[in-house]
Amino acid sequence: MATVKIEPGMESMVDVYIYETTQLLEQLDEILLRTEQANTFTDNDINEIFRIMHTVKGSSAMMGFENLQQLSHKGEDMFFIIRENPDKMQDIAFVYDLVFRMSDLFKAEIEKIQNVPDAELTDFSDIISELEKGAATLKGDVDAGIAGEKADKAKKDAEGNAAAIANASSNTTVDGALSVRVFFQEGCKMENLRSFLLLNKIREEAEVIDFVPKNVDTDSSTAEVIINDGFLVTFKAQNNETVLRLIENAVNVESFDIIDTAFVAPTHSEENTKAAPKSDIAKPSTAVAAKSESAPAPSQHISGGNADKSSAPPPEASNVSAPGKQSIISVNLAKLDQLHDIVGEIITTESMVISNPELDGLKLESFLKSARELKKLTGELQDTVMSIRMVPLAGPFQKMNRIVRDMKVKLGKDAELKIEGETTEVDKSIVDNLNDPLMHLVRNCMDHGIEDSVQERLDAGKPAKGTVTLAATSSSGEVIITVSDDGGGIDTEKVLHKCEYQGLLTKPAGEYTEREIQNMILLPGFSTNDVVTEYSGRGVGMDVVKQNIEKCGGTLTVDSKHHQGTTFTIKIPLTLAIIEGMEIQVFDTTLTVPISCIRESFKVKNSEIFRDTTHGEMIMIRGECHPILRLHEKFQIPTEITDFEDGILILVETDVRSVCLFADRLIGEQQVVVKPFPAYLSRYNIKGAGLSGCTIMGDGSISLILDVANLMDGSF
Amino acid sequence: MAVNVQKNNPLALDTKKNTSAVEKEKEITKTLTFAIGEQVYGIEIPYVIEIISVPKITRVPCSDVPYYIKGIINVRSKVVPVVNMRACFGKEEVEYDEKTCIIIVSLKDVSVGLIVDEVRDVLSVKQKHISKTPELNNVNNNKFIEYILEMDDGIKLILDIKKIIFDENMI
Repeated sequence: MATVKIEPGMESMVDVYIYETTQLLEQLDEILLRTEQANTFTDNDINEIFRIMHTVKGSSAMMGFENLQQLSHKGEDMFFIIRENPDKMQDIAFVYDLVFRMSDLFKAEIEKIQNVPDAELTDFSDIISELEKGAATLKGDVDAGIAGEKADKAKKDAEGNAAAIANASSNTTVDGALSVRVFFQEGCKMENLRSFLLLNKIREEAEVIDFVPKNVDTDSSTAEVIINDGFLVTFKAQNNETVLRLIENAVNVESFDIIDTAFVAPTHSEENTKAAPKSDIAKPSTAVAAKSESAPAPSQHISGGNADKSSAPPPEASNVSAPGKQSIISVNLAKLDQLHDIVGEIITTESMVISNPELDGLKLESFLKSARELKKLTGELQDTVMSIRMVPLAGPFQKMNRIVRDMKVKLGKDAELKIEGETTEVDKSIVDNLNDPLMHLVRNCMDHGIEDSVQERLDAGKPAKGTVTLAATSSSGEVIITVSDDGGGIDTEKVLHKCEYQGLLTKPAGEYTEREIQNMILLPGFSTNDVVTEYSGRGVGMDVVKQNIEKCGGTLTVDSKHHQGTTFTIKIPLTLAIIEGMEIQVFDTTLTVPISCIRESFKVKNSEIFRDTTHGEMIMIRGECHPILRLHEKFQIPTEITDFEDGILILVETDVRSVCLFADRLIGEQQVVVKPFPAYLSRYNIKGAGLSGCTIMGDGSISLILDVANLMDGSF
Repeated sequence: MAVNVQKNNPLALDTKKNTSAVEKEKEITKTLTFAIGEQVYGIEIPYVIEIISVPKITRVPCSDVPYYIKGIINVRSKVVPVVNMRACFGKEEVEYDEKTCIIIVSLKDVSVGLIVDEVRDVLSVKQKHISKTPELNNVNNNKFIEYILEMDDGIKLILDIKKIIFDENMI
């Protein structure tokens, strides 16, 4: 079996290939889901699917992934039949399963290519033969025999395709058809595949009537023919100039000639005369460019390949909008990470300079003015870098459609996925970490949430069709994502019973509140499923979900009402990297409290403190009672300030609880770059101790960032 | 943390094989030696990133973190944890003095600073110097020792950095 071999010089293309193909496959999934739901293919959909398959096939071939090329080829075949025989589209449910499977295999293979160097190319003959069978079924009896002849199948199909296209087009009028002979740059290699890609591009804009040589995608020997004689393509377009421009701008195209159609398509006798008015374009190769009067050297535009893509805007307004300058580029994430790191360093260094102790006591009017200016600019820089990294949640959300669809079929439950607020943007690194948790939660909703029997739903006065809702909103530096279902909800008694059975309880069963019991489903090892299914029940999952979310600084909570449904709420910070923090000091330790958690800070008199029965210290502020947490005790810091009157209290709160932290003194407010604890320490539960990370201060010392929510959990 | 550490050790510790005199004299690797008390230890040079004096160490106040991890330090804007080798080897801890150093070692992007009493030398290691670690499991030091060098000026214990960085239960 062949291995993944990337031709020299193509390595840089692999990333692009993976990126593009993944996107196309996602598009494919999207269309299939939509059409399956609507239960009908529009012409547009079929063309779009066809185009995707085509592009994937072409680029796979170009990268030398033969198995992927064959696979997409078969998929393409199938849709070719559907496209040509729209009347046979009644019973195509099996097509969806086939194509979904194909797309999954494709994705798995691409992942392999991405992650495993020198991986073996997977043998797809099983699915290929199934696709062939599917195609045969679609085709009906007429030429079902083709499916059997596997040996020269590929070749035959390609010929069949071309013939069919030619046949189809000969029935239509070929008014305004144009033939172009394209030459590629010398030594650009794989001319046949480049021709094939070019062909695909032309197909997007025009109807391809004929091309010579044939079989460019499967027969590499055609490359030589193309080198010598060029690639001859005859097409008919709404706007021929658009297509010509497309050819002109295609990668590695050295030059092209426009040929009178009479020579190439003698069968279409009618069009000789009709093509005549176009002869002003059709003669010399420079004719097209000559139209652009502003261009100083007309021939450049034809022969320059893609080098001057942007510098050759079409002067005349054509009825098709001109291909504008591309306004979006894709950037390697590693570079963004690097940029992000550097900005973090700049901000640290900036405060090192501006609050340098050597400046203390100096009168520095203009320095401070410049410093303010600098601070403003670095702030803007930081915001911009952050915004670059922001991506909408639509990607991971859309993927859930597929999961719901698959599970619907497997579990035999009727349910739909509602998506709200998918335009909410979060940091790219967070989005990447969200995929798995979201998948688990949606699966969980489908598997455990939605009732097994429709009758149960109807009895509870709910519609027969279940609903799983994915929603996202952002509020004050946080993104809140909810995954909810309108199913049976969590049976707290069952959960408690299970926990008791599995030995997960830490206190007598009677002492648990409903909320506590609900959140027990997030414990490691917990599973209510008696039977392990493909999707859930192994008792891993929910705790992994929780861990994954916590890894990116978020929290996961469960809220469930019996018979009404369950809601999982994920809260994650918009961005991980830079926060506004209040520096506080406890003896020799500097701690950072996120400003967003702080309500106020104040001095107290000992008389205001009172104690509860277990000697927990409390304070009453404006009628509300708050417990006091002595940071020096919590972190065993040997400070001398243990009397409340000598130190300061800081009231911090999360959405559910509040606590007063007792520290020696406040240092001041500062923007800090959050750094995670080093990987070496990841085996210890530092987060549980109430510390979320650390930051490097202006003077080079390290300050620990408090995780207020965990601090409260671990202390009371 | 189950990390598969590849055996990328340049030393093939096959002492049973009869090696020729030339091979015995061949330099296999270089090692940085340092002292903890009277004993000299070594770390293979490829693992060593740098040697610094002891800066302010920020303690990580978490009961989960073992006592020999002294905290974290800032090494040119990178946060690196530091391990006191004395404590790690079960020896009595001493105050840091001007000779105390932190050797920053790194493997697979994980860096750790090792606090040692004193850094000595960089030695050229030849095949003839190497002898195997005695299989004595009751000596807890042995866990971190990859092999032993017998040199003219004494025995040097070469640390197994893979274990120090990736082994969960160091002690």
